[in-house]
Amino acid sequence: MQLIWEGIKQSFILIFSGNREVLDIILLTLKVSGFAVIISMLMGIPAGLAIGLNNFRGKKFIVSLINTGMGLPPVAAGLFVSVFLWRSSPLGFLHLMYTPTAMIVAQVLIATPIISGVTLAAVAQINPKLKLQALSLGANRTQVLWIMVKEAKLPTLAAVMAGFGGVISEVGAVMMVGGNIKGQTRVLTTATVQMVRMGEMPMAFALVIILLVLAFAANIVLTLIQQRDNPTWIQKFWR
Amino acid sequence: MDPKILEIINLKKKFQSGFEIYIGHLTVRQNSILVIIGPNGSGKSTLIKLIDLLEKPDSGIITFDGTEITESESDKAAVRKRISVVFQEPLLFNISVYSNILLGLNLRKKNLSGKKFLFEYLIAKLDIRQLLYRNPKSLSGGEQQRVALARALILEPELLLLDEPLANIDQPSREKLRNDLFSILKDIRRSTIYVTHDRNEAMLVADEIAVMNNGKIEQTGIKGDVFSKPANEFVAKFVGVEALIEGRVTSCADSVFEVTVKRADDKNSGTETHPKIYAAGNTEISEGDNVMAAIRPEDVTIFNVSENPEVFRNSSALNFFSGKVISIEDIGFLKKIEIDCGFRMVSFITRNSVERMGLAAGKEVGASVKASSIHIFKR
Repeated sequence: MQLIWEGIKQSFILIFSGNREVLDIILLTLKVSGFAVIISMLMGIPAGLAIGLNNFRGKKFIVSLINTGMGLPPVAAGLFVSVFLWRSSPLGFLHLMYTPTAMIVAQVLIATPIISGVTLAAVAQINPKLKLQALSLGANRTQVLWIMVKEAKLPTLAAVMAGFGGVISEVGAVMMVGGNIKGQTRVLTTATVQMVRMGEMPMAFALVIILLVLAFAANIVLTLIQQRDNPTWIQKFWR
Repeated sequence: MDPKILEIINLKKKFQSGFEIYIGHLTVRQNSILVIIGPNGSGKSTLIKLIDLLEKPDSGIITFDGTEITESESDKAAVRKRISVVFQEPLLFNISVYSNILLGLNLRKKNLSGKKFLFEYLIAKLDIRQLLYRNPKSLSGGEQQRVALARALILEPELLLLDEPLANIDQPSREKLRNDLFSILKDIRRSTIYVTHDRNEAMLVADEIAVMNNGKIEQTGIKGDVFSKPANEFVAKFVGVEALIEGRVTSCADSVFEVTVKRADDKNSGTETHPKIYAAGNTEISEGDNVMAAIRPEDVTIFNVSENPEVFRNSSALNFFSGKVISIEDIGFLKKIEIDCGFRMVSFITRNSVERMGLAAGKEVGASVKASSIHIFKR
């Protein structure tokens, strides 16, 4: 209990004292996970919609692949990215290994199947006749997709939340492709692992608490967007 | 005669289940209402999807406003924007009622400003003004369908497709919405295809009727003809002909056919004791043909023969049968009287007449029908 209390105190001190190192870690964490989720959204949502709304040969196989991808172990994602970005690998000339870009790529690999899988499940719940109704009202294919996204707005945002939760909390892939280099590729999760290894438990707790606060804040924002049609007391307060 | 807004020729669509739609020829005239009636599963809704180009036919031609629709997606989209459809389910989107009504206009890049009068008319007529800012999920089925109708009608389509719009609504709301909808259809006078399995709705709203069964059109024609001159047994039963009598044409003079009724217990070929029916009209029939005689219950008059056995002699009706009342059944404000005249005959008469004539099961009565009210068709 003493350890947790120390951790909470440390986290406040670290944040409010303006500790440069911790601020850099927080910013890099947000940058890497934020970019990864945005890229995964741009790929995963249209893919989930296209697969969920259309029937085609091989659909079951692709859905099975996505479902498998949803449970992809982060270390496996890290390994795949490493294989391609390693100096002697096909994309080695890009010199991306141990950079934030490599971390983003690895996290995209983790988040995209989660977002497309949840989106796919969400649109599968929509009455398929709504698509016909949208077409009959004069919608083109893009408009139909947009209308369907709005119909599946709540579960789609849940997909984004799940994707963000998946990447901000993962450590295996970013450790493998980022290398946890101080000041360059160190994020909250890898820094926590480092602190535990060094026996700096109050500092590790502080980083975990910051991580939880960030995850909670991101999810609060998404929840507020998700439930805009049914304002809660907190939304009314903010208005 | 008004030009055709829609013409379908040899349209075919086969499904994996083996069910096939085949429409040899079907037309909708401008500003007229074609009602497609048929039992559930006869392919009516699929035909609506084919007409709205939401299903792709295997073969056949659809001509819209004089132009044949091609395979091109842009052509199809352009035609679809001139049509609007209301399905059996209201299919509203998860946005406000107001946004739902305007959705089609937005998608078709049309402005509400020129349609303010129509908008006001529709929300007043459909009684949805108080619902405009609610979410469709909070509305009843009837209210949702009113919104769906407003959304389709505000588009002022050149062809309006209504696919059983009243089918999923409870009885009291259904009657009210039916009256409101039919009143709007009369006011706006648009080319319309109205699909239903309810022949009463068809009677109320149709200019022309097509009867559909098992993926095919059994008969098309103006409302009165389809109801009074069914082309076959299926149509006759579907449009409410209660008495269908099997027989053979034994003579024909002055366009009046004498049909000798085949009794249910017929064993020999002798016809001398068999009842005879006189029917006027159908020129495609000749002597010796096996036919069905269709008699609508509202065309049958019942007489109390015990009081005046000679009553029929003073009537112009060629058909007068005597028989026994088998049963009397309540059907709303009328009573259905079933009589055994050597064949089954049915008449609809008022409760008042039943009481005045003292009708009861087993009572001897007479029944008359004019030859012009009996329609015969080949078996």
